[in-house]
Amino acid sequence: MTWTWFHRLGSPPYVYALAARLTPWFAWPAALLILGGLWGGLVLAPPDYQQGEGVRILYVHAPSAWMSLMVYTSMAIAGAVGLIWRIKVAHAVAASCAPIGASFTVAALVTGALWGKPMWGTYWEWDPRLTSELILLFLYLGYMGLRTGIEDTQRADRASAVLAVVGLVNVPIIHYSVTWWNSLHQAPSVMRLAKPSMAPSMLIPLLMMLLGFTLLFGALLLVRLRGEILSRERAASWIREVVGA
Amino acid sequence: MSAFFDMGGYAAFVWPAYSVTFAVVVLNIVWARQSLARARQDARRRLAARAEAP
Repeated sequence: MTWTWFHRLGSPPYVYALAARLTPWFAWPAALLILGGLWGGLVLAPPDYQQGEGVRILYVHAPSAWMSLMVYTSMAIAGAVGLIWRIKVAHAVAASCAPIGASFTVAALVTGALWGKPMWGTYWEWDPRLTSELILLFLYLGYMGLRTGIEDTQRADRASAVLAVVGLVNVPIIHYSVTWWNSLHQAPSVMRLAKPSMAPSMLIPLLMMLLGFTLLFGALLLVRLRGEILSRERAASWIREVVGA
Repeated sequence: MSAFFDMGGYAAFVWPAYSVTFAVVVLNIVWARQSLARARQDARRRLAARAEAP
């Protein structure tokens, strides 16, 4: 077993070029899946027998909530890899994740509130699921605040990685909050070990949106990562080539 | 068509939810591109400053 691929993934010029090459392979499938998922969710999927057409908020709420958790987990893993193996590129990945994750956490909270009002009668309740998701937003904001607060990039990388790893404990709390506590929020119907409890006409557009958003995250991450790598490399001659100076 | 936009009486919740999500997606694309463009510009400026220094 050779580890050359692992070493190459620690090399900034290699990752910069790879990120540029891979971006369209994430962006275009993401666009197609999201457009297909929108059509399926807004037009083809049937209204719910209880929630009527209001159920269509599902197709934007669940992908946003999935992003908030998946991006955070990626950020914490990248931060941990950066801490353990002292890989600069891993820290650059973690730093790139934060604004993406924070913005989709806002989307999850706002779409959730807009769904809660007609179905539960309230925009907000200090419910376990809602509260732990709000804490996730604060973790993202704390992570970004910590990074901007520390001038030295290496120290900012290490401190923010520790915060991200410690905050990871919130991710399973969010996921299991609806089973552990008596929550207003419904239990998971797709992300579970048993068969998803959903008709294919609803499940397919939802899965398209989930996969589309995940690939969108990949594309956004690859673009941001290139910027992060450039700003971290001070005296490297390869930069001259890629920025054309 | 108007039935579609009415969303069975849930229009006031469904469309804002879709709009917010759409805005977050678009903003993310804009922000990501801006951050890369800014980093490229900064790198170019750094290289130019170093070329001028003796």
